[in-house]
Amino acid sequence: MDRVQEEMGCYHDNSDGTNNIRKSVCAALGEHPLQYKYTFWFSRRTPSRPASSLSYEQNIRQIGTIGTVEQFWRFYSHLIRPGDLSGHSDFHLFKEGIKPMWEDECNRAGGKWIIRLRKGLSSRLWENIILAMLGEQFMVGEEICGAVVSIRFQEDILSIWNKTSSDHTTTSRIRDTLRRVLNLPANTIMEYKTHDDSLRDNSSYRNTKISL
Amino acid sequence: MSTSRQLSESRAIPNRTVLISDTTQLPHDYCTTPGGTLFSTTPGGTRIIYDRRFLLDRRNSPIAQTPPAHLPVIPGVTSQHVLSENQKNSANNHVKNHDGKATTGDDAQFEMDI
Repeated sequence: MDRVQEEMGCYHDNSDGTNNIRKSVCAALGEHPLQYKYTFWFSRRTPSRPASSLSYEQNIRQIGTIGTVEQFWRFYSHLIRPGDLSGHSDFHLFKEGIKPMWEDECNRAGGKWIIRLRKGLSSRLWENIILAMLGEQFMVGEEICGAVVSIRFQEDILSIWNKTSSDHTTTSRIRDTLRRVLNLPANTIMEYKTHDDSLRDNSSYRNTKISL
Repeated sequence: MSTSRQLSESRAIPNRTVLISDTTQLPHDYCTTPGGTLFSTTPGGTRIIYDRRFLLDRRNSPIAQTPPAHLPVIPGVTSQHVLSENQKNSANNHVKNHDGKATTGDDAQFEMDI
């Protein structure tokens, strides 16, 4: 997704029907462009309903797409902080054109790092992880796909998705950047799970590989 | 090793001094590389890098305050009002579902060196 800064002008969304918003994303004068454009998504599931690929796609919706720092703050300032969300909910911030789903072609060979958080930490750490992502702190070329914060019953989970799960140089660098930008204690357990494994056991957060 | 060599003309690197009395007199492209960005350059291309502090400082600029167009209305998720640290608690009171689940407040934000 190489993009020269000067070429970043207006464009029109032309995605499929999941896009609720049809508008141009332009960098106005005085705004600071991001290296990539990103889309905010929100999903919620009633815990009693079983998870399935079809219902997941129906329960996730786009909130908006951003291309500058200022556009990011406009959206972010109008979203409830994750720690204040109720129920089984997720915020996703993914590069434009990549759906936050295992089956998206950018995610087929990919995986994610996950960090489990006790209640009370998600809002601050979500902010830190997305600021790091938007600010290109991970330094792994095109590999980052997006970040997710998942609010669950007794814990919250932060995830960051990358394109190539077998690229250990990339996944190690992402892990190290996470430790730095989130200021995690040295013995924090970080888990990696390939999306392939998630598809097989139909679960996002179970059966991960533990990395110490 | 070359058998012949030619001395090229040597001269001092040309420079000029401009006295200014105020920061408003700095040229607007001060500190930028030609065709590059203010923030960082990498071999083979320019990558736009922002650190956390820079991003946070942009939050209060006037152009970041206007509500986004076409913000979907999702009760309990999107808000028509700007939510800041101070307003977190009042927004929470308005939108929280009373499902009996106890929630803990966020830990106080503290500065970390990155």
